[in-house]
Amino acid sequence: MTATTPTATPTAAAATAPTERKAGPWLVLLLAGVFEVGYALSVGGSEGFTLVGWSVSAVVFFLLTLYALSVALKTIDVGIGYAVWAGIGAVGAALLGPVFFDETLTPLRALWLAVIIGGVVWLKLADMPKKRHHRPEHASNG
Amino acid sequence: MSWLYLAIAVVFEVAVGIFASKANGFRHLGWTAATLVSGAIGTLFLSFALLTFDVGVGYAIWTSVSGVGIVVVGALFLGQRMDWRKALGIAAVVGGVVGLQLTGAA
Repeated sequence: MTATTPTATPTAAAATAPTERKAGPWLVLLLAGVFEVGYALSVGGSEGFTLVGWSVSAVVFFLLTLYALSVALKTIDVGIGYAVWAGIGAVGAALLGPVFFDETLTPLRALWLAVIIGGVVWLKLADMPKKRHHRPEHASNG
Repeated sequence: MSWLYLAIAVVFEVAVGIFASKANGFRHLGWTAATLVSGAIGTLFLSFALLTFDVGVGYAIWTSVSGVGIVVVGALFLGQRMDWRKALGIAAVVGGVVGLQLTGAA
């Protein structure tokens, strides 16, 4: 993967330490999304796991994306984490598919892809477990 | 046939989503193993589907429909709540897949 992602420029030491503590997991999550794009492209390129190079690449990215995601989700909320990860993976695969393979992304297809990807990102966000502080426990009749 | 492969890949990816949540950050060995095995089988069938589908299209359908499946299974069998926000997301995914199919992408 070419490193065009906006990775963190090493922040000046004097800068905010608390923000840096929060930024780490998000960078790992971004990385997980990039790995997921690598996974998608490799699986596609493997031609049904008949091409060795792409197949090995698919397995490596599969393990990397799972590992990075699990690390990121230790700190980041699962719903948001999955939404970002799935979004990066799907958008990346859609944009880079035509770069690596003999594929075309017509505007109409891009539109429907956007609807699907928007739908799943929304869904992951909606699937967040809500913290409910006031459960009506007193409603039980004794 | 490619749709069948994609459907099988979706089933295993839904299993991955459910197993992974039980694996508790991959601390539980059994569920972690189940997650990896399901992921491997799902990946294999995804690769079969991508022999026909464009990568971007096939992958987006696979990951999104799997996301829908995880929410639906959760609501039907795991006692999670279905609400209008989830329903809207599901509708967008389903509508998008149908739309893509109409463009002849799949």
